[in-house]
Amino acid sequence: MKFKKGLTVVMTAILCAGILAGCSGASANTDVSTKEALNYACTKDIRDINPHLYSGEMSAQNMVFEGLTKNEGGEVKPALAESWDISADGLEYTFHLRKGVTFTDGAAFDAAAVKLNMDVIVANKERHSWLDMVNEIKENVVVDEHTFKLVLNHPYYPTLVELGLTRPFRFISPNCFVNGTTKDGVSGYIGTGPWILSEHVDNQYATFTQNENYWGDKTKIKTINWKVMPDPQTILLAMQNGEVDLLFGADGDQVDLDSYKKLEAEGAYQTFMSEPVASRAILINSKSPITKDIKVREAIEYAVNKENIIQGILNGSEDQADTLLSKDVPYCDIDLKTIAYNQEKAKQLLEAAGWKLGADSIREKDGQKCEITLSYNAKNAQEGTIATSIQADLAAVGIKMNILGEEKQAFLDRQKTGDFDLQYSLSWGKPYDPQSYVSSWRIPAHGDYQAQAGLEKKQWLDETITKIMIEADDSKRAEMYQEVLTYVNDQYVYLPISYSKTKAVGITGLNGVSFNDSQYEIPFEKMYFSN
Amino acid sequence: MKQYIVKRLLWTIPILIGISFFAFILINLSPSDPAEVAIRVNEITPTAENVAQMREQLGLDDPFMTRYLSWLGNALQGDFGNSYVNNKPVAEEIAKALPPTLYLSLVSLLIIVVVSVAVGVLCAVKEDSFTDQIMRGIVFVGTAIPGFWAGILLMWLFAVKLKWLPTSGMMTPAAVILPAVTLALGYISTYVRLIRNNMIQNKRENYVLYGRVRGLSEKTITRHIFKNSLQTSLTALGMSIPKLIAGTVVIENIFAWPGIGRLCVTAIFNRDFPMIQAYVLIMAVLFVFCNLFVDLGSVWIDPRRREA
Repeated sequence: MKFKKGLTVVMTAILCAGILAGCSGASANTDVSTKEALNYACTKDIRDINPHLYSGEMSAQNMVFEGLTKNEGGEVKPALAESWDISADGLEYTFHLRKGVTFTDGAAFDAAAVKLNMDVIVANKERHSWLDMVNEIKENVVVDEHTFKLVLNHPYYPTLVELGLTRPFRFISPNCFVNGTTKDGVSGYIGTGPWILSEHVDNQYATFTQNENYWGDKTKIKTINWKVMPDPQTILLAMQNGEVDLLFGADGDQVDLDSYKKLEAEGAYQTFMSEPVASRAILINSKSPITKDIKVREAIEYAVNKENIIQGILNGSEDQADTLLSKDVPYCDIDLKTIAYNQEKAKQLLEAAGWKLGADSIREKDGQKCEITLSYNAKNAQEGTIATSIQADLAAVGIKMNILGEEKQAFLDRQKTGDFDLQYSLSWGKPYDPQSYVSSWRIPAHGDYQAQAGLEKKQWLDETITKIMIEADDSKRAEMYQEVLTYVNDQYVYLPISYSKTKAVGITGLNGVSFNDSQYEIPFEKMYFSN
Repeated sequence: MKQYIVKRLLWTIPILIGISFFAFILINLSPSDPAEVAIRVNEITPTAENVAQMREQLGLDDPFMTRYLSWLGNALQGDFGNSYVNNKPVAEEIAKALPPTLYLSLVSLLIIVVVSVAVGVLCAVKEDSFTDQIMRGIVFVGTAIPGFWAGILLMWLFAVKLKWLPTSGMMTPAAVILPAVTLALGYISTYVRLIRNNMIQNKRENYVLYGRVRGLSEKTITRHIFKNSLQTSLTALGMSIPKLIAGTVVIENIFAWPGIGRLCVTAIFNRDFPMIQAYVLIMAVLFVFCNLFVDLGSVWIDPRRREA
């Protein structure tokens, strides 16, 4: 009895302390105009930022290393190459390099350095198999000190776009090569970019300082402190404690939607949201026992209430997607059949496909229950919530959908083997869409390939995609894209849900927060503090 | 005593072999092909060719026993292979992550000892008083809250609201306080109860009565009671050391503490098998040896147990 009394007193004391602490209000705004360092929190360490490999954080790679071109505002713009000429047959690209550029170790950035970098990338082409461009490079030629020529096997149309991707076509000082290559690691991270990686403590922090000899506009902030905080909740509290100035991330990474909304509501922070960047869709496997029937796939498309997902789960923060790729994406402004939520239509389609409603409200056909599974990476809680909404929609038309949240590697195993009925699919966004994304449909380890594997014209699809990549004529290329996207759309292999956006939260006084074309990059160089 | 030590040491050999076998077999129980995992964690698309090449490189095509013996032989020399994720030697990564974890565990241990002894003795001396109830209430609530939640609550209160401490990281000396307290919370209740109950039990022993009859002061009597009540707690504390080290997994993630627990979680998510195997083996060895030392210590204190 006495113990209970003691416990009650303790609980009351804790509650009072909590209330009192809660009354102390949001953090006060202070003068930030003299701040020279920006504290950015990330759930991941920058790791190995060798620009020719894939282990490091892309946003960190982008700070230090630059390419010949860059993708900005949906266009290809000059970066380390001031200009370029393309031969009439589209096989030779001659780049006129920016003069007076040096790596931050003092080594000259010239055609020889470009060739060295390009040669080691091509020599390690197996690692870059996701990118057709690497296979298309025939020769890297030094024309003169400031002129470099890229010779291709075919007139590969996305050449300039892909040269501007965050990796692998970025340039590292030849002094960092180990045994004449970069494929087994590098001895330093020396680039030409606006930032210098000055310190890195594994799994703790990285410090980037301004490159004072940068060829372009120098950064307005002197230092970026990249803090590693694996738990998003900790990041949120650290921001409220003034230890973090910026959260920035795509698809729930770093900033989950709830945190974003909470900080937005507090009013003490600035919130930013990019234009739609990538497509969030559900893959419907055309090879699985139940979903191999096109009518079932079509019924699923009609049965799902996307509005519920967008408004109820995504808080209206993303745009509803009616087609796999947004009309803003190059070659995707085409008329495709769109499907509006219609459960009656879904039921009719299932009836027509022979799936009759059973006593337990689950449809049956030849003794088989209409039961499918949606698998997702359990680390992404938002996907689990979306899955429950889809589950309820499908249950209403007589399809039992199981939800399987599993570890990332198990999820990828399933993706690779095609052992799934429904799975999440995210496109890579600009500037990878459509060419790199569509190109990946031909790779068996990708879920897209597996989901399309049951289609009658899968072989044609893959062959057409291959032709698109090397079609020199833009109108013919557009025509082929239309054929591919129309076919995939009409086969109901994708259930488009939304077009995702990148989110950022900054402290008051942090200005210039914007978004690059690629959702994987963070334009720190444009940010500055002012009251 | 020597004979007992030798016997116990010899017993650890089959136990360690069993543990090493278990740690190694983990890789074979996983549904994922380690070669594919090794390729995929480096963002390379697995193909039949590169998977075959990786299998050969990792020696995965060798018979099970050959692989086990080779791994065990290397592990005995401190070579646990290279991480699939960054290709760095696992031993090097563990050696880097272990000191922060040991530091965190040590501070936690200090907190456990200081708080448990203070509260345990106070509760025993003031048995069933209001102070006893309050103290036990606090300890009970602290222990009942799951570590991850307690961590977030402490962070919110002491960092965000009171601005006394940093939320996370290892940048300032004060940064260890919150994770260490969070880690200690789960253990304090056990020791408070052990010390309190043993002291209350000892208070009723005849030697206490004789002491009082002899006119010893209450302070001296309490000191004797305390000394005689410590053995169970010391045994339990010995076993708590490896538990503390292994128990940092959640705390290190919440507080961004760059220790072995975080290394383990990252390895699990990436299925970095060499790292997981090394972690399991090291933790198991730690448990075995701590158990051994605790046993030897208690035998040294109480020779009757030797015959038993």
